[in-house]
Amino acid sequence: MASPKTVPKDAQVMMQILKDMGITEYEPRVINQMLEFTYRYVTTIIEDAKIYSTHAKKSNVDADDVRLAIQCRVDQSFTSPPPRDFLLDIARQKNQTPLPLIKPYTGPRLPPDRYCLTTPNYRLKSLQKKVSSSAGRITVPRLSVGAVSSRPSTPTLGTPSVQTVGTKVGTPVSLTGQRFTVQIPSSQAASVKSVQNVLINPSLIGSKNILITTNMVSQNSSSDSSSLKRKHEDEDDYDAL
Amino acid sequence: MAAVQDGPMELDAEKETKPEILSDGTSNLSGNTASGTLSSSPLTAAPAGGAPKMEDQQTLIAVLQFLKRNKLTDSVEILRREAGLGEDQEDSLATDGSGGGKGDGDGGDAHSLLSRVSITSAVAPQNMPVKRADDQPDVSVVLSAYSQQGDPSLYQVYYSGLKNFIESVLDCHRAELSQLFYPLFVHMYLELVYNNHENEAKAFFEKFSGDQECYYQDDLRVLCGLTKKEHLKGNEALLDFRTSRFVLRISRDSYQLLKRHLQERHNNQIWNIIQEHLYIDIFDGMPRSKSQIDSMSGSLAGEARREVNKAKVFYGLLKEPEIEVPLDDEDEEAENEEGKPKKKKTKKDSLGSKSKKQDPNAPQQNRIPLPELKDSDKLDKIMYMKESTKRIRLGPENLPSICFYTFLNAYQGLTAVDFTDDSSLLAGGFADSTVRVWSVTPKKLRKVKSAADLNMIDKESDDVLERIMDEKTASESKILYGHSGPVYGVSFSPDRNYLLSSSEDGTVRLWSLLTFTCLVGYKGHNYPVWDTQFSPFGYYFVSGGHDRVARLWATDHYQPLRIFAGHLADVTCTRFHPNSNYVATGSTDRTVRLWDVLNGNCVRIFTGHKGPVHSLAFSPNGKFLASGSTDGRVLLWDIGHGLMIGELKGHTDTIYALKFSRDGEILASGSMDNTVRLWDSMKAFDEVETDDFTATTGHIHLPDNSQELLLGTYHSKSTPVTHLHFTRRNLLLAAGGYNSQ
Repeated sequence: MASPKTVPKDAQVMMQILKDMGITEYEPRVINQMLEFTYRYVTTIIEDAKIYSTHAKKSNVDADDVRLAIQCRVDQSFTSPPPRDFLLDIARQKNQTPLPLIKPYTGPRLPPDRYCLTTPNYRLKSLQKKVSSSAGRITVPRLSVGAVSSRPSTPTLGTPSVQTVGTKVGTPVSLTGQRFTVQIPSSQAASVKSVQNVLINPSLIGSKNILITTNMVSQNSSSDSSSLKRKHEDEDDYDAL
Repeated sequence: MAAVQDGPMELDAEKETKPEILSDGTSNLSGNTASGTLSSSPLTAAPAGGAPKMEDQQTLIAVLQFLKRNKLTDSVEILRREAGLGEDQEDSLATDGSGGGKGDGDGGDAHSLLSRVSITSAVAPQNMPVKRADDQPDVSVVLSAYSQQGDPSLYQVYYSGLKNFIESVLDCHRAELSQLFYPLFVHMYLELVYNNHENEAKAFFEKFSGDQECYYQDDLRVLCGLTKKEHLKGNEALLDFRTSRFVLRISRDSYQLLKRHLQERHNNQIWNIIQEHLYIDIFDGMPRSKSQIDSMSGSLAGEARREVNKAKVFYGLLKEPEIEVPLDDEDEEAENEEGKPKKKKTKKDSLGSKSKKQDPNAPQQNRIPLPELKDSDKLDKIMYMKESTKRIRLGPENLPSICFYTFLNAYQGLTAVDFTDDSSLLAGGFADSTVRVWSVTPKKLRKVKSAADLNMIDKESDDVLERIMDEKTASESKILYGHSGPVYGVSFSPDRNYLLSSSEDGTVRLWSLLTFTCLVGYKGHNYPVWDTQFSPFGYYFVSGGHDRVARLWATDHYQPLRIFAGHLADVTCTRFHPNSNYVATGSTDRTVRLWDVLNGNCVRIFTGHKGPVHSLAFSPNGKFLASGSTDGRVLLWDIGHGLMIGELKGHTDTIYALKFSRDGEILASGSMDNTVRLWDSMKAFDEVETDDFTATTGHIHLPDNSQELLLGTYHSKSTPVTHLHFTRRNLLLAAGGYNSQ
């Protein structure tokens, strides 16, 4: 540990606090951790207090603002376990139900699937064989980051990627999360675009609207098919929560 | 007197009307709403006509006082008129109110709160308006348990007065009455703090904190930092301390002395505190000596009441199922109808292995539902019996060999270890939130092939169980990722298929050891889970954490089946009894509790540790429990009688590992002081058998024979011992993370 002369005053104060609380053995890093925490906490509170005081059109921050700031933060960050009488109450309720009987021979005894982490949170879409020239592409906002991985990963919403190859950009259609089939008539190219089912899991979407941008492509390019492959795996890339 | 809880409890019945009057459903008493309901319904309190009973009178008086204090004069008039009370009746009854009405033990009720409020107005003229501005109703009611107060500057006088009195009594009584000092000190201090008398509180603390017992020093240090009312709000353990009643065991003679002294004094402040916050368990008999008291005290809630430890506990073992063994003549034990492994008969073992009679101390087979044995389990049992024939008999002359598994490069991050029962696998939980599984035997860890590969194997072949395993990814160790916080508890299932891990992120995870992936995350504790353990028969597991409860789960339920609530502070250690019907929990409140799985009741409370309890171990015959804590002592408890039967001193630091040998002859303890110590548990328990239990009072005079019982001390270089495990042949395995400092 650095000698007291070279240690900054804040650290000395922290060392004194630790000593007063009876903590005699600690790693040197503990002081830095405590100082960091103190600094972060105090600045958060004071910033909040400043906001409250300006809201109340006061010129200075006073003790009431600080008190209010502390109170609001306490419920957010420093939650404490429930009080004892509450625990005794729910324990009484829970303990009244008899223990459930065990069903014989059911294989691994696990909760229903939705409470387990065993189901994959992705599904590979089988590729359509005929990826033809005028593939009207539906770009769905990416709902999974990167490639399919075997570990459960949280889905993240990415930005909708717009294909700019097309000459005409369709109007965005907003959905309320139903299963639907999009069929884009190919006006320019000869071949019929294959129908693609876009499955959107209603449970994930809820009330959010998903923006689907439909595009028409005029050219037939092999690059289309390869980009098609990459970009359309993302329909089913989310977990049923 | 009401403080002595052999008084009647029917006072509660009369008081039921009060919550309805006062609180319209919530316990948040604000002056306005209360007055509205009060003025309209005082009639429900006073029985129509006739002479109202004593308790109802007091209720009315209290209500009147409350209204007066809040200056609701109109309501006061209305109430007085309708209830037919005269002004003079109030004062005369108020002084009596201090004596009666204390039968209820629940400090959180609105009615008892109000009865205290009424006393406040009678005893001390200056009152602080009771603050009810808190949004959480339960906390506010609990905190307002300190609304009563006397004159703050006189607290020191009261305390010194009591101290002088206790020092002047006879020696035999002094030790017992000195038990009063600590709870009184804490409660008076907290009252001063709650009522915002910071300076008086500090002065009070400085003057008297040095007098307290040495084992309360940690608590006092925490108290020292609490100087404002706001500090109290976040401290759950202290909140519980005040609402639960501190239990003291005092002999009748000493109690009479005390009572006489306090009642003849004019200021009954101390008497009031005793009545509200302390529970005095009186026993008839000789007063206890200081050493006896010291051995039992130390917990956050005082000692345990006698009737708490009187419930019947089925500590016997379940009968082993019959297993037919093909062909092998070595296994003639299997032809025992109970199929038990041969046990050396000890003089206390009354379970004759050939008897068909139900052991009266054993629970019924179907008391709790247990999973039935599968074929693989039966094979395991046969292996177990074969191994146990090769078991070494341990004893004071025949100590086990110890094999220490040191985790290198863990950088103090090793937080939990477990071995499988057959000692083939070892799991470590780390502070970097990983769980690592190693194979202890030369056989490598293999996981099941992926679905595509499984399709291709021949399902009819004989060695299909080997074929489903993937050879390509076989390795000595596997790492399991999933938790988002340090892993504080790991436990293997008895059939070696599952591993449980509990972590600071509040979840308990079930991992499959066939695929080495996570199967389920059990969410319930929202705070760090300090320990978890599978039941000896599988299927159930118990977890305990920072939220002060232990939960019983089954692997196929996503919510807990039982919640064991009652501890005043974190539950740090949870263990199943060998018959899976009981769970023992050790806690930071320095008690060990035994819970019944069937109905969630607490059947035993063991006090005596002076520091948080970190390790527990049941003896293999199910009768005894050993517990180790931060004070370096191992305490031995008799479960059937509910008594402490031994104390093993020797370690100098926290004991994190305790294990009995397979037949219960040796107790091994491992601690942070880098040693493993072996104790002669047969001798410790034998002495208990021959002694004459003073079972009614439960006061044992423990001989200080730790030195005789210590069979050996084994030091590691600088590795604290995290876990101990006896193999089936009684070889002792120990595990710890190397600490280079």
